[in-house]
Amino acid sequence: MMITRRSLARRTFLRGLGTTIALPFLDAMVPAFASSGLPGKKPVRMAFVYVPNGIMMDGWNPDYEGKLGELPRILKPLEAHKQDITLIGNLTHNTGRALLDGAGDHGRCSGSYLTGIQVKKTLVDIKAGVSCDQLVANEVGKATRFPSLEVGLEDARQAGDCDSGYSCAYTNNLAWRSETQPLPPILDPRALFERLFGDGTVLSPEARVAQAAERRSILDFVMGDTQKLKSDLGPTDRRKLDEYLSSVREIERQIEKASSDNAQIDPKMDKPYGVPADFAEHFRLMTDMVTVAFQADLTRVLTFLVTREGSSRAYRELGIPDGHHPLTHHQGKPELMEKVRRINEYHAAQFSGWLTKLKSIKEGDSSLLDNCMIMYGAGLSDGNRHTHEDLPTLLAGSGGNHFKTGRRIVCRRETPMCNLFMTMMDRMGVKTEHFGDGTRPLEGLDLS
Amino acid sequence: MQRGLQATPPVGIIFDCDLGNDIDDALALALLYGLDGKMECRVVATTISKPNLNAAALSEVIGRFYAGTVSAAFNAGGRTLPVGLATEGKQREDTPMLTAPLARRTADAKPVYNHGIEKITDTADPINVLRNALSAQHPKNAVLVLAGPASNVVELLRYPASLQLIPEKSRLLVIAAGKYPDGKAEPGIQSDIEAARRVFAEWPTPIVAVGSEVGEAIAFPAASIEADFAWSEAHPVVDAYRAFKPMPYDATTAPMAAVLYAVRSNAGLFSLSEPGTITVLDDGRTKFTPSPTGNHRYLIVDPSQISKIQESYVQLASAKPVPRAPRRRLVVEENPRDLPPAPPAAKPSSGPAQPR
Repeated sequence: MMITRRSLARRTFLRGLGTTIALPFLDAMVPAFASSGLPGKKPVRMAFVYVPNGIMMDGWNPDYEGKLGELPRILKPLEAHKQDITLIGNLTHNTGRALLDGAGDHGRCSGSYLTGIQVKKTLVDIKAGVSCDQLVANEVGKATRFPSLEVGLEDARQAGDCDSGYSCAYTNNLAWRSETQPLPPILDPRALFERLFGDGTVLSPEARVAQAAERRSILDFVMGDTQKLKSDLGPTDRRKLDEYLSSVREIERQIEKASSDNAQIDPKMDKPYGVPADFAEHFRLMTDMVTVAFQADLTRVLTFLVTREGSSRAYRELGIPDGHHPLTHHQGKPELMEKVRRINEYHAAQFSGWLTKLKSIKEGDSSLLDNCMIMYGAGLSDGNRHTHEDLPTLLAGSGGNHFKTGRRIVCRRETPMCNLFMTMMDRMGVKTEHFGDGTRPLEGLDLS
Repeated sequence: MQRGLQATPPVGIIFDCDLGNDIDDALALALLYGLDGKMECRVVATTISKPNLNAAALSEVIGRFYAGTVSAAFNAGGRTLPVGLATEGKQREDTPMLTAPLARRTADAKPVYNHGIEKITDTADPINVLRNALSAQHPKNAVLVLAGPASNVVELLRYPASLQLIPEKSRLLVIAAGKYPDGKAEPGIQSDIEAARRVFAEWPTPIVAVGSEVGEAIAFPAASIEADFAWSEAHPVVDAYRAFKPMPYDATTAPMAAVLYAVRSNAGLFSLSEPGTITVLDDGRTKFTPSPTGNHRYLIVDPSQISKIQESYVQLASAKPVPRAPRRRLVVEENPRDLPPAPPAAKPSSGPAQPR
């Protein structure tokens, strides 16, 4: 059989001065007559989204198992995605417990969250383990421009005491490349943008300002490549490409706006260049970029530290001037508990917004969300008492039509969280007999 | 930076049994919680090798009756200790000693004994309970007591990390099964011969075996059930005892001897054999072979101590639980503000009932 139509290489880039833009999946990338064959198969993306200080479990756990019906209060913002998520109950991180190391549950639980290791209680010679996302990145990352992305919204300090003798390296990182090398999250949208679409050139702050002053879009730099590519594409692909580049432009515009706003608020303010003052906007901007990164297959592995464990961020946008962490030690006071619930809801609402975005992007017959498995959760369940069992855990996406969603699964008590990680790693093609205290892949998630 | 300074607490006991097949395990649990109440030990985990949900439920009922709902092992903030329950194995069927206490109702038709185990997800995989409990113990400060098939305990040997954890955290395995120095096969071994064989061959700490001959020599007196537990209108161990066999009968006590030895190893209540090696034969019989380098011993009854042991059994098992504040970690920290708040004071939710 003759192939009459040449396919576009998956790794096609639009290049221009200091700019490299990867492309989303286009029909033209599928070889002719291979509509259902392997070359057209969409990759599965794995992500971990971490929220700190536990969650008010009375607003998280439904009082039923099986098919998701009415969602509890904190999960209400995810109502539109009920069919896209799986709630998993009773997962435990034993290595987050004290285990003779005394106080410091916040530092411990975040350090052990993706590593499954009882981290060393220290401020200096930090020691955890290779996190499960990095074990995956080591394998599937070979196929993408970035083995993994690490993003966050709050605090990237890597030294100092962030909890009772635990280094900030434990609270401020989720991903660990080795037992002593965490991968700090990118907080600044501009920095993430430049990482995703730059050509690796590191611009000085002055050059960056000068470039911004020109008010030129990166799309201007790749105009030539874009026009040339469009002439080779069919109408559907042209529309897809236009939509994609528009979303890139919109991100760029938002970053410029944030920079401009920051400068107007206070030119000396201690915020990274391009970080929006508004939490929700910051969240949306970062997840928009991650979406593009997933869409263009720049990476398949993400960790997203929404805010760090022990975060005392005040949510003034909700009318809550108190710090998050102090609020979680509510000692049963209803008014404080209510504030924590509202913060939990607010985080869930931001997450839901991201899922909406992922779902709006089509990949063949499915959506980008369908081809993701995004774990949303916390390293503590009851933030007041620092409990490490029945951790709030939600899996969004079906991992490429692999997991049966729209359900609540309750595991047996003390089931290691690492069992879920083993399942996710397995789905990403990384098979391991043991990870952390994991004993076997989690049962009951698969479609079959 | 200063690490938390922690005093070594009383020995942590991990108790694995096939509750429901014989009354001796229920008595051993009562004894164990009695010792826990006197702060001589801490019950840090219970696992059940009989694959029966009611066995796990009764275990939790007994735990709540004596110790309340506060978890000593995990600082679990009001949740009960997770009960590990096997899902595979023999002797799955309900027995009256399980069903009778659980079925008992108050005048207004409510369960006399509350528990939180209605479905399998209310229990835990025994391997996770055993491992997590061990991981929380001070070095060499745990003792495992196995009464019945070794099906749960042998699972620990499957994981390389466990093989490090067991000798690091525990100092002894006490097995109430078999007959020594030899004799006819005993049900605890016969239920899972391969598991018993592996545990005796591969367990990385010393083992002390308590044979059925010990349990037969030191009976638990039926009269005590009638008299010493009478302070409570409703007592789950008494209900189980009455349901197990028509009263009055004296019970055998190999698991009780195992518990008592595990906690009071140095009290001189029992004699120990010379060191040697216990092997499990194909038909389930156990055989002890003396060897100076052996890691196994078995318990020998000293006739002069029998009445003293019986007295301890009765006093400890029938002791009235005293609600007490949960143990807090004894910690000296730089930043005590970040210690989690203490859970509410222990309050047994299912008993004890009002004394008569």
